[in-house]
Amino acid sequence: MPAMSLAGAMRPADPPGADSQVNRDLLRVMEGISPGYLLLLAATVLSVVAAGGVWIWQVYLGLGVGGYAHPIFWGVYIVTFVFWVGIAHAGTLISAILYLFRAKWRNAINRSAEAMTVFAVLTAAQFLGIHVGRIWKSYFILPYPNQRGLWVNFRSPLEWDTFAISTYATISIVFFFIGLLPDIAIARDRARGLRKLLYTALALGWQGTARQWKSHSRAVLHLSGLATPLVLSVHSVVSWDFAMSIVPGWHATIFAPYFVAGAIFSGFAMVLTVMIPVRRIYGLEAYITDYHFENMTRFLLLTSWIVGYAYGFEYFVAWYSGVEAEQTAFWLRAFGPYWFSTWTMVFCNVIAPQLFWFKRLRTHVPTIFVVSTLINIGMWFERYVIIITSLGREYDPAVWGIYTPTWAELTIFAGSFGFFAMLFLLFMKLFPVIAISEVKELVIHERAHSGEAH
Amino acid sequence: MPALVGIYDAPGPVAECARRLRGRGFTRLEIYAPAAFPELDTALDEKPSKVRIWTLIGGLLGVTTGYAMTIWMSYDWPVTIGGKPFASIPTYTIIGFELTILFGGLATLLGLLVVGRLPYGRFGKNDRAYSARFSAEEFGLVVECRERDVQEVDALLRDHQAKEVSLVEP
Repeated sequence: MPAMSLAGAMRPADPPGADSQVNRDLLRVMEGISPGYLLLLAATVLSVVAAGGVWIWQVYLGLGVGGYAHPIFWGVYIVTFVFWVGIAHAGTLISAILYLFRAKWRNAINRSAEAMTVFAVLTAAQFLGIHVGRIWKSYFILPYPNQRGLWVNFRSPLEWDTFAISTYATISIVFFFIGLLPDIAIARDRARGLRKLLYTALALGWQGTARQWKSHSRAVLHLSGLATPLVLSVHSVVSWDFAMSIVPGWHATIFAPYFVAGAIFSGFAMVLTVMIPVRRIYGLEAYITDYHFENMTRFLLLTSWIVGYAYGFEYFVAWYSGVEAEQTAFWLRAFGPYWFSTWTMVFCNVIAPQLFWFKRLRTHVPTIFVVSTLINIGMWFERYVIIITSLGREYDPAVWGIYTPTWAELTIFAGSFGFFAMLFLLFMKLFPVIAISEVKELVIHERAHSGEAH
Repeated sequence: MPALVGIYDAPGPVAECARRLRGRGFTRLEIYAPAAFPELDTALDEKPSKVRIWTLIGGLLGVTTGYAMTIWMSYDWPVTIGGKPFASIPTYTIIGFELTILFGGLATLLGLLVVGRLPYGRFGKNDRAYSARFSAEEFGLVVECRERDVQEVDALLRDHQAKEVSLVEP
């Protein structure tokens, strides 16, 4: 048999020891745990445990442990809920909308932004449970068959919110996982021991065959198409929690686009706040370049103007409507007892981002870090302004009131940051923080073209 | 049947070679790639991926479920408000919309798994040819052929810039 002797001559050579540069650079982030990392992780775990303890105490004693008192029954918990849902918007925007627009620069940041989306939604969802005093009855919001034959009220914005948030959580996890699948396979082929076992299970046998890539591309395209209207709907629905009521300062048609722009604004700011230190610590400057940061700051500038326009327009409508309650509510926002939060919001969200008109500052990393952190603070205060000042100054001055967050609320608020940071820290050590296969797509393209043309 | 594995550095020659091989009647082919490349999507199969049917069915199922559930529940416990219809279609649109996305997205995931033959779908005929090189930066073209065709396929693979060709036993 002559063919068999040929076979002997053509035995496969052992795979070369050298792995691809991209794999080595990006998988290295997952290796080794420094004392600084452990310290940070311990701090986040501690804050989560503290928040959990306070929460159990609150369940035992009741919501009075928070600053909830007549007439303000939506406090820091709802403010923080809206804040985290907003943060969750950047990931899907970057992954889905920029994917549909074929904006290639998204490759450097889409993985971490998607991860932040998932973690922020998980953080936000907890606040619904924390805010509902009787947590053991929270399943009442779901339409399930019961002995009373009673169904939920589908006309209620809170019911819409349940569907919107749970859909968003599910879809962002699916999107995140599908994007991660090829990268888990890369890690699987290089891991040992327990990690090998984990990645083998999670990679679902991914080998990067033509058939797999073809269905993968198609699935990502379809999910982007589905997630794009979804991301716009989620914060719109959150805004209708407010806008569907008749509270002065809430009852406005501008709320949906205003909230969506604010969500994108805060989400991009959070991606920058997190990725600037990560890039520096893990030396990822070759992958996340100043060009990426500059594009992000352009988005911040644009959305800052949309948000600033909404702030101004709210005041205009309050004046133009001639409704006295509206006018009073908005006057008191700026010059009433909560003036501090309003002016913080205006400074952080409208004035500070104007620095990004200058290219020198758009590429100056410390400036970007400071401004994006300010925006995070400002966006939290925006929700504080909307919720607290409006509830505290409704139609009848006899029921006006003042709300001050208690230390219990602030502990749980701090715990939410701990929870988010904890998940992100664990993610960095378990999965590639940059989408390796998408970076490779660019690398291989570039190599092929430089080989042909020059 | 023995299988030949050609190793490549770029997707273009892989796609070209696969087409030539299919033209010559070799149908048991497989391509391994480190990333998604549009030219490889049509190399083995010109038809668009069937994942799209999954998304469509999921989405339609979602929108139907959303409206049907809300409307049925309104009539199952009718609440009379000023003689208005029991079901409020405009507000139910939000539920219908969200469930379209939810069901459509989950069906897309399911479609990816079924059409892409995951999980563990490829631990079958060509699995012996897989190597960690394909999750680095190299491409693999696997051809199953009869003993007497080995030399022809080998020459064809090398003609299309394969940097090495090896034989995997059945």
